[in-house]
Amino acid sequence: MSSPASDQYLPLTPAVFAILLALSDREKHGYAIMKEAAMPAGGQIKLGPGTLYGTLDRLMRDALVEETGLTDDRRRRYYRLTQFGSQVLAAETSRLSTALRTARARVTAEEVRA
Amino acid sequence: MSRPNAFLLAAYSALLKLIYPTHLYTCYRDQMLQTIRDADSDRTYNGFQFWSYLFADLIRSSLLEHTRMFRNRIFARPILIHTLALALILTVGGLFAALTIQAALRRSADQPQMQMADKYASALASGSRIQNTLPPLQVDIQHSLEPFAIFYDATGHAVEATGHLADSIPTPPLGVFVHMRTHAISKFTWQPRSGLRIAAVMRRVEGPQPGFILVGRSLQFTEVDEALLRRGTFVTWLLLMCLLAAGALYLDRAERLRRSPTPA
Repeated sequence: MSSPASDQYLPLTPAVFAILLALSDREKHGYAIMKEAAMPAGGQIKLGPGTLYGTLDRLMRDALVEETGLTDDRRRRYYRLTQFGSQVLAAETSRLSTALRTARARVTAEEVRA
Repeated sequence: MSRPNAFLLAAYSALLKLIYPTHLYTCYRDQMLQTIRDADSDRTYNGFQFWSYLFADLIRSSLLEHTRMFRNRIFARPILIHTLALALILTVGGLFAALTIQAALRRSADQPQMQMADKYASALASGSRIQNTLPPLQVDIQHSLEPFAIFYDATGHAVEATGHLADSIPTPPLGVFVHMRTHAISKFTWQPRSGLRIAAVMRRVEGPQPGFILVGRSLQFTEVDEALLRRGTFVTWLLLMCLLAAGALYLDRAERLRRSPTPA
């Protein structure tokens, strides 16, 4: 899944990871992203509007995220992951999983020794 | 707290306009304010903490975005980076060269005195009388550029001199004599009076007439040379910087013209 193009974005910052993760199941507007990122399943990342929209702007410029064009209100726009955004998220998830596996194995070994 | 808090929202909006990068403000202002309204109406947040966090986030993200934009602007123009790097190299290199030359000038100002002090010290150590060792000169230390010599006895009192300052024989600070107890020779810049700087060399004299021989010379010539060097270095640096700036501007303009679309 990972490609040289997606690898160049790794490692992702917690804010970028939380936004991509929030958009991975379906399109969402700003507050929905903010709310999901703050939940334990979303990484418990606190995102204010300043950080959120600055990051979304960069993610759109890099073609990881795009606007859907659908809106229920002109002030509430929806965003979704692009295919490339999904690749980057997958690559980061794989990177984190590897590190997590190592950490788990070491922590367990440490607990057994103790 | 009343919801939505119109006053805080207006304050946030004003601060947003003031500090958030313009293009982000233009694109996302409405969405940002709507996000706050949505969060505010959700009633899951503590009012005070919520608004403090919003303002802190706005300030932090504005700073970060401005920094990012500045960095992108700089890196988008490699000519600017190269020019700044070259200017820095030239400045540091020029400064190092000027300091090296200045140090060499100062060292060379001690050279004749070193030789004279060696000659007088060895003559005195071999038993020659002080009156016969020093030349029969009377140098006006204040105005002359000639080297002069002064012999001090072991207690630091002047015995014989070929140079005078206002009809008296000057004596260096006591610290110099203290230093000479453990050192055979000492080179230092001596300022016997304001505006008069002397390149002095003092050598310890052993033998039948123990004491110290000091040979000095006004640093006026060296100071003129140093001033010329400083001025020359500054003018050269300024010219180089102007040339660099002109070259960089020309190349930058040429690059922008090359990149701009040509009419069909």
